[in-house]
Amino acid sequence: MSFAPPTVNGGGAVGAPTGLPLLQVSHLAKAFNGVPALREVDLEIAAGEVHGLLGANGCGKSTLIKILAGFHQADGGRVLVNGEEVPLPLGPRGLRDHGMAFVHQDLGLAPSSTVLEHMALDSYGASPGLRRVSWSSEVARVEELLARFEVRIDPHATIDTLSPVQRAMVAVVRAVGGQELLADDGESTGRILVLDEPTVFLPRDEVELLFALLRRLKAQGDSVLLVSHDLDEVLAVTDRVTVFRDGRLVGSRDTEGSTRGDIVQMILGARDEHVPHEATTVSDDAVPMLSAKSISGQRIRDLSLDLRAGEVVGVTGLAGSGFEELPELLFGARRLRSGTIEVDGRRVSRPSPGEMMALRVVLIPADRKAEGAAQGLTVVENLALPFLTGHSRGWRLRWRELRELAQTICRRLNVVPPNVELTFGNLSGGNQQKALLGKWLETEPVVMLLNEPTQGVDIGARREIFRLIRAAVSDGMAVLCATSDYEQLVEMADRVLVLQNGRLQHELTGADITKDSLAASVYSEGAA
Amino acid sequence: MSIVDKTPTESADNVDAGRVRRGFFREPERFALIGVWIALIIFFVIMVPQTFPSTANLSNMLGSQAVLLILALGLIIPLRAGDYDLSIASVLTLSAVIVAALNVNQGWPVWQAAIVAVVAGFAIGVLNGFIVTKFDIDPFIVTLGIGTVVVGITYIVCNSATISGVDRILSKVMLSKPFLSIPLDFYYAVALCAVVWYLFDFTAFGQRLLFVGQNRDVARLNGVAVSRLRWIALTCSATIGAVAGVVYVGTTGSADPVSGAGFLLPAFAASFLGSTALRIGRFNPWGTLIAVYFLVTGITGLQLMGAQQYVQQLFYGGALVIAVILSKIVRSRSERKRLVK
Repeated sequence: MSFAPPTVNGGGAVGAPTGLPLLQVSHLAKAFNGVPALREVDLEIAAGEVHGLLGANGCGKSTLIKILAGFHQADGGRVLVNGEEVPLPLGPRGLRDHGMAFVHQDLGLAPSSTVLEHMALDSYGASPGLRRVSWSSEVARVEELLARFEVRIDPHATIDTLSPVQRAMVAVVRAVGGQELLADDGESTGRILVLDEPTVFLPRDEVELLFALLRRLKAQGDSVLLVSHDLDEVLAVTDRVTVFRDGRLVGSRDTEGSTRGDIVQMILGARDEHVPHEATTVSDDAVPMLSAKSISGQRIRDLSLDLRAGEVVGVTGLAGSGFEELPELLFGARRLRSGTIEVDGRRVSRPSPGEMMALRVVLIPADRKAEGAAQGLTVVENLALPFLTGHSRGWRLRWRELRELAQTICRRLNVVPPNVELTFGNLSGGNQQKALLGKWLETEPVVMLLNEPTQGVDIGARREIFRLIRAAVSDGMAVLCATSDYEQLVEMADRVLVLQNGRLQHELTGADITKDSLAASVYSEGAA
Repeated sequence: MSIVDKTPTESADNVDAGRVRRGFFREPERFALIGVWIALIIFFVIMVPQTFPSTANLSNMLGSQAVLLILALGLIIPLRAGDYDLSIASVLTLSAVIVAALNVNQGWPVWQAAIVAVVAGFAIGVLNGFIVTKFDIDPFIVTLGIGTVVVGITYIVCNSATISGVDRILSKVMLSKPFLSIPLDFYYAVALCAVVWYLFDFTAFGQRLLFVGQNRDVARLNGVAVSRLRWIALTCSATIGAVAGVVYVGTTGSADPVSGAGFLLPAFAASFLGSTALRIGRFNPWGTLIAVYFLVTGITGLQLMGAQQYVQQLFYGGALVIAVILSKIVRSRSERKRLVK
């Protein structure tokens, strides 16, 4: 590390000379609609440490952060700050009045406002808003703050002129500065800065700048709780890590002396048995139904792939690796920056959803509520949308035919209740997804692009969805399935593409697709 | 792991299905506005028995609101797509002034003047849609600005003066009463209502427009040409606004650059109030028709009971606010129903 920590206080425990943990969470529990998200988890953060919180998707780490931030209320458990119990439930400000500051993934900065304006917001935050802002003293405070943490950014610069890592640093310094203002009258206890996936959007070579900032915070006696998927980063910057799995505490351990293998083992738990499906092998010289050549999008860089009739291709990676972008990029729903897409040998010059649908390529988006269906309209209206042109006489829609069509879809896919006049939003998640799958299968697609097809879907519906997709595939459909659910890939995919930083990093096929091998390639160090 | 076909959630859904009433009698709230309207009529028949139920009054109420109804029917087309058209009343005024100026000042035949007026409205709609979709700007702002520009043009066309003496033929086409002593313009408005109904409920265009308004991402991911539909909807509203202007100049026989602006708020009030009737939460033509006549019943009745001119503002403004509150309540209630499950 090229950054020497400033030796103001010689590092170590400034706020907690007694050796008490700065934050102690014990037996914290939380359930949503009866489904436990956190089962009596513990977490301890010492003064002056960078603590990593790890776990797979849905392990409960974001639920914990949201409870500490006052967004959710815990069902039970205890929270102690500096050894003193904080009564539950926490108010809407969470632990913010107890020395905790939060920086979320989106950073919460307004692009056209300046660094100074953001920070000044905090110093008149609590007042009614009519007090005159003393800009000169604000400038002095902000300049001092930035200088103290060796962040060389002009306070008058607007956020949109800063690089991504500079923005992240502004958010961090701002959060620290806000805590200092709050603690102005009271004695300065140690602070905890919570960073929720701060590096997902940062270029890899600049992340070190942010980490240097975290080390300087640590040197001043502050603590950092870092939530991250990226094991390399966690190993590089943290002192201790805590791992959750399925809402339970797996354990905590010192980072020093831990290998990535140890931590992966903690995240994934006992090795799962392999649940293979009858793997179909498609010969390489089969004509691809969809072929993409060196396409680039927002995150994806220079990616090429072929989807052949009769195969399911999985795509996965860490959050931010670009795998989530691929289905929409291929469907023309996101702007293609470069590269070409061919469907059934024909080049698509300007991919758009309408164009791709005409070529019988369909997309089932991840977010059913926002993108899959209009929740306030009826089932028949939602299911009829792609079939309107085919079912009209002149201009007039044949509603009777459309209704029969929707009923057929619901019956075939076992959608319950089978009442097509029902508002779509009244169906359960699993039934919504089955209805949407049935709608698109009814268009007899040659390529189906899936994005997290079983998110928020109950286990019964999940099985049915897998079965239906496999049935359509054996009839010659090509499927691309983007998901971070490894089990799903093991059950469904004939081969899996693993993306890192927007590029294709590994390809697994057939029996090599296991939860372990997937996790290993997803977390593996970049080959490049 | 065994595959369980009937999960608990699914059986819960089954129970829920039993509670869904089908057909005409589902959601009795749909008829609340009609119920209140009938109650209002009965109230005024009792309170002002000589004047309120008279043929002259009924004929006057039905005929005088045709312009407003036509305007509101134009407005609900972009509203269905989720877009406001604030320029529609300015287009009405411009159209009326064009007819009067060409017919009276230039001596054109009135039907030619009417065609020019409607074409002008069409052109303004095309411009609105172009700016909104090509530059991706909120139509609220675009139509506010364009509407104001249109007002300016109106002043130029009529030289800031009222033009009267429009060809009597136009009045005859609008106001003669061939049957039931109701002026013709009422029938035109009802005919347009049927056309919009057909468009909304029985064409692919109407269904796609609905999806554009409900959820643009869903529409886009289903291959709907979202921008083109929004453009068409804004063109429709301005064109129908111009038609309303022609009807207006026919009913009054003159045109001035100010009076059309007074139609904007009542048209919004009727559209939003109409969306609480018949098809709750959706802008719909028959609901709009009921809302227009509900509002005029209240205003006329109160005026016959001796209320002053200001009752109009109180009624229209109040109706707009109450309508949006009602639709919000209905929506959050149905969402709660969903969550309770």
